[in-house]
Amino acid sequence: MANKYLKAKNCEEAIHFSQLHSDFSYISGGTDLMVNKYQKNNTSKTLIDLSDISEMKKLQLNEDIVIIGSAITLSELEKNNELISLFPSLNKAIKSIASPLIRNSATIGGNLLCDNRCMYYNQSEWWREAIGNCLKCDGDICIASGGKRNCFAKMVSDIAPVLISLKSSICIAKEDKDIIIPLEEIYSGDGINPHTFSKESIVKEIIIPKGNPKTSFEKLRERKTLEFTSLSCSISVTGNNIRVVLGGVDSKPVVLDFEKSVPVEDIIIKSTKKCRIIKNDLYSREYRKQMIGVFIRNGLKNII
Amino acid sequence: MTQIELWVNGRKHQLLVDEHDTLAYILRNKIELTGTKVGCEQGSCGACTVHVNGVAVQSCITPVLKCVGKRISTIEDVANQGELHPLQQKFVEKGAIQCGFCTPGMIMSTMDFLKENPKPSREEIEEGLSGNLCRCTGYKKIIYAIKEYADEKSVDTSDKFKMIGEGRPYIEATKKVKGEADYTDDIPEKNALHCKFLRSPFAHAKIKSIDFKKALEIEGVVDVVIGKELPNKFGVLPISEDETALAVDKTRYIGEIVVAIVAESERIAENAIDFIKVEYEPLKEYLEMMDSTLDVGKNEQIHSHSRFNNNIHKKAELRFGDQESGFENSHLKVERQFEFEGINHGFTEPHAAIAKWDENGLTIKTATQVPHYLHKSLAKVLEVPMSRIRVIKPYLGGGFGGKSDPFPHEIIISHLAKKLGRTIRVKLNREEVFLTNHGRHPTKLGVKMGLNKYNKISVLDADIVIDGGAYGSFGVVTSYYNGVLLQAPYEIDNFGFRTRRVYTNKPQSGAMRGHGAVNSRFAVETLLDELAHKANIDPCKLRLDNLISENSITIGQYRITSNGSRKCLETIMNQSDWDKRYGKLEKGKGLGVAGGFYISGSALPIHWNEYPQSVVHLKVDMDGRVLITSGASDIGQGSDTMLAIIVAEVLGLSMDNIFVVAADTLLTPIDLGSYSSRVTFMAGNAAKMAAENMKNKLLNTISKAHDIPKSEINLSKERVFSNDKTIDLNWKEAIVFLTDKVGAISSSGYYNSPKLGGDFKGAGAGLSPSYSFGSVVAEIDVNTNTGEVKLINIWGAHDAGKAINPLAVEGQLEGSWHMGLGQAMSEQMKYYNGMLLNANFLDYKIPTSVDTPPIHTNIIESIDPEGPFGAKECGEGAIHPVLPAIANAIYDAVGIRITSLPIRSEDILRKIKEKENGE
Repeated sequence: MANKYLKAKNCEEAIHFSQLHSDFSYISGGTDLMVNKYQKNNTSKTLIDLSDISEMKKLQLNEDIVIIGSAITLSELEKNNELISLFPSLNKAIKSIASPLIRNSATIGGNLLCDNRCMYYNQSEWWREAIGNCLKCDGDICIASGGKRNCFAKMVSDIAPVLISLKSSICIAKEDKDIIIPLEEIYSGDGINPHTFSKESIVKEIIIPKGNPKTSFEKLRERKTLEFTSLSCSISVTGNNIRVVLGGVDSKPVVLDFEKSVPVEDIIIKSTKKCRIIKNDLYSREYRKQMIGVFIRNGLKNII
Repeated sequence: MTQIELWVNGRKHQLLVDEHDTLAYILRNKIELTGTKVGCEQGSCGACTVHVNGVAVQSCITPVLKCVGKRISTIEDVANQGELHPLQQKFVEKGAIQCGFCTPGMIMSTMDFLKENPKPSREEIEEGLSGNLCRCTGYKKIIYAIKEYADEKSVDTSDKFKMIGEGRPYIEATKKVKGEADYTDDIPEKNALHCKFLRSPFAHAKIKSIDFKKALEIEGVVDVVIGKELPNKFGVLPISEDETALAVDKTRYIGEIVVAIVAESERIAENAIDFIKVEYEPLKEYLEMMDSTLDVGKNEQIHSHSRFNNNIHKKAELRFGDQESGFENSHLKVERQFEFEGINHGFTEPHAAIAKWDENGLTIKTATQVPHYLHKSLAKVLEVPMSRIRVIKPYLGGGFGGKSDPFPHEIIISHLAKKLGRTIRVKLNREEVFLTNHGRHPTKLGVKMGLNKYNKISVLDADIVIDGGAYGSFGVVTSYYNGVLLQAPYEIDNFGFRTRRVYTNKPQSGAMRGHGAVNSRFAVETLLDELAHKANIDPCKLRLDNLISENSITIGQYRITSNGSRKCLETIMNQSDWDKRYGKLEKGKGLGVAGGFYISGSALPIHWNEYPQSVVHLKVDMDGRVLITSGASDIGQGSDTMLAIIVAEVLGLSMDNIFVVAADTLLTPIDLGSYSSRVTFMAGNAAKMAAENMKNKLLNTISKAHDIPKSEINLSKERVFSNDKTIDLNWKEAIVFLTDKVGAISSSGYYNSPKLGGDFKGAGAGLSPSYSFGSVVAEIDVNTNTGEVKLINIWGAHDAGKAINPLAVEGQLEGSWHMGLGQAMSEQMKYYNGMLLNANFLDYKIPTSVDTPPIHTNIIESIDPEGPFGAKECGEGAIHPVLPAIANAIYDAVGIRITSLPIRSEDILRKIKEKENGE
């Protein structure tokens, strides 16, 4: 079957295209997908381009909420002064993503839906075959965990932890209607199929309540640019609630809520315990675990 | 396939494309806009940056169909009718361009971020460039160029007749900044076939059968080659030829070429690989270097020719003085084990080559540092006389040693060109570049040192194991260099080492910038720091007290002539305010120092013969332009410009009257290549001699014709005149005059090293007609909560003898320091069961602009008595001190000794905790 590239004018048309071509992927910025295509981790014959859908490119700053169209590029968002002052941790997270060049193409929706990563999976087809395909590419066992039957490929969106800490929701366009659900609900925790919604659905908008919480964001990476996360830690404090959201340490964002009275050490222990870190990253498992504590302590110190 | 209209650089193109083609592929292959480079294929290096609707994006990960209806502009659109954009002009003027492969992407990124922020701070420029990797410059000159452009600083005016010592851009910089310099893969060739490789998935396995029948049946597939078709062995060192172009009978590393397939298009060749079936029988793998030192059965050896009953490739051992009594007489002793991961050159231009066979035999255009050695290897493997082979090096996007061997892909396509009578192209992707490797050897070494009661180094003994991977490459030399290059820059009475280079089932290691001595230098400089602490004296003072002096002989009988080591160290001590700050910074912050030295070319050639090591020819005709022909390979280090400056200086010309043709084995005379930091010294001396010979011809002829002593005739500012001005000719008139008298004008010069060194086995290793010296002070800040090390400043000084082109010399030094800090801080080749885990520019972590601290550059000039105008090497030696300086700074900051590289935050944190717990 020949390759196809279809530009959708609106969500409805995009969903329609998806029904006509079963072997498809949506593409917007393409910075994740095109690399996966190069490595043949994605072999979709049809690409449905969402990047020109105007309803997905609107930024609305309402009284109580901010609505961000998911096809807005990260570089547009990082330069928006209102967003910077409303959500400094979101800005910090965006600026920590890849490089300015990537952010010129990459969209916020694409970042939320970036495929889960593992150092035994994000390799060329030849490489994966040579090593013995892992679970995520139709093999029998997880190589990173030394033979387990689950895939632990890590969720690497830096924006997801921040948005979840801000208690954001997302609007998903489905065939028959749009639905709004809390962002964390789209993450399944399965490294192979990391998202809960059907493949045809489109993440259309992100809705962030203004609430004015105190927030922090920190990311573990070897270089100050280019890198995917080895640990992202986003914390928000609203009223009596402390929300800790960790990325890069499980197949989904790890979300924990605490009352303000909970001692920091307990927050750290509980947060660390809830993560499923395995050796699928160039940092050791132990170090990433250790840094959860450091990042939470720092984050809380800065905002409380 | 679909028909599209694409607007590129203001022109509409009607194109037939595959729906999933990338913009980079279309720009390069369908519109021939090859100024857009592809360095990584995965959006990690920025070389392919173009503008889509005015926004900088990476075209290698942008689908072309996404760009339909949008305005695309590429580097070719930046200059206005051939006139450089002022930003491009600044890149040229400031020396921001070395190999030039990243330059188009740098320009395109910069033009984008300057639109929104026309007056950026240095930090904002670093951030703006942080998606564009440069391996040559250390970013310093790029950042300067952008800052000066943004601040609208006026164009520098330099005297066009000032040559030696005047910083000037490379002669090809304008071409590079416009995207017009053709690197190998940019060169169009008619009717060419494309070659792709099936590579071994086994680290060590017998090849039981290869079935390529189905692949050959695919339409468009032209031929398939397997190992037995090219059985002749080759290698850069004639004493260690152990590699075949394709695996014969067995494979020795994951990634080794087993089958080559050639087809009408790259895609057909790539798809056809899936139809080849190879049956392997796995053999015992040797992945750990120490395992390869153990005795094994004959059948388990990686190479049957290994002389010992194990997988040791080379044992090198030299001893001078008496180490035992040296230790006995030592007042203070230290001993440590060190471990270093392998690293890769990380040049931005992947390997590429084009071979053609016609009535003149073979012509291969290839990204090589060593046309001459490739020439020899091709002759040997293909069994074709050298007179039927021509090797041409086009513009080259960085080498650093990684293009200094003959490579299988070059041999395979040459063979195919001969066999099929067609032009064959090949380019490796970034993963293949990493698998091809030849990078720095992973190393384990133990070093012992002692100080006597006068704080003089009394003894140094090193026991070294280096992991050579599957084949020999430069390994015999590396084995010696690891040891012999420790005998300076300090005076040592009792010195010895043993190196064992082992074969393992991993991609082969070879020569990389600072060849052989980087890791062992790290160990020695770390121990010196420790000795200084034990002796309670300042580490700079300890070094100053032990430096070997100029015009001396080392214990291993190296002849030291010029030596600026003291001035180097004093300069950076002063600049870093060492005396006031060392040991006095708050906890977590630290300063560290280290020194080093290096050869200016190897005095002994690889092939033992009496041939000159470099020859330069000059030719001048009625137009007055001097043509320089030289076999030296300009790989981005500026050697073509260096030759031009030297000739212009001698003949009193401006660069306008000089033209360089280099690195073409048919047109240019022999030069052994760009490795071991030999080009300025050797080709430079040859060029100087050639120019002086031409000058003498002119002077002799004029002197004779006008009866004026030669000493009264001058060549300056493109005029030839006598002191009394009775003769006063412009250059062209002088050339006409000379041609009238002698008929034809050409001249030649050559260089051969003087006979040097001692009379013992191994005496030749590391011998050089001159040595460079250098030192670095590093300032760092350790986060004691995370173990993360932040580099704050690098102060470096390097004795380059005389900087023929200071702009280029600074560029070499900054690039060396940058590469060194990469090895220290983040780079490593990481394996999983013999498979390289990080064969891409995302996971192989070359420091970006935001990871690179301010670098303070000092050129020290000691005026070497034998170097051309006093010059010596500057391309490699500077790297040595930067790594241990960083490690020593960490000790100053948190009291932790670094004994393995790269420095990992988690190791530092663990040691901080251990220290706190009193372990």
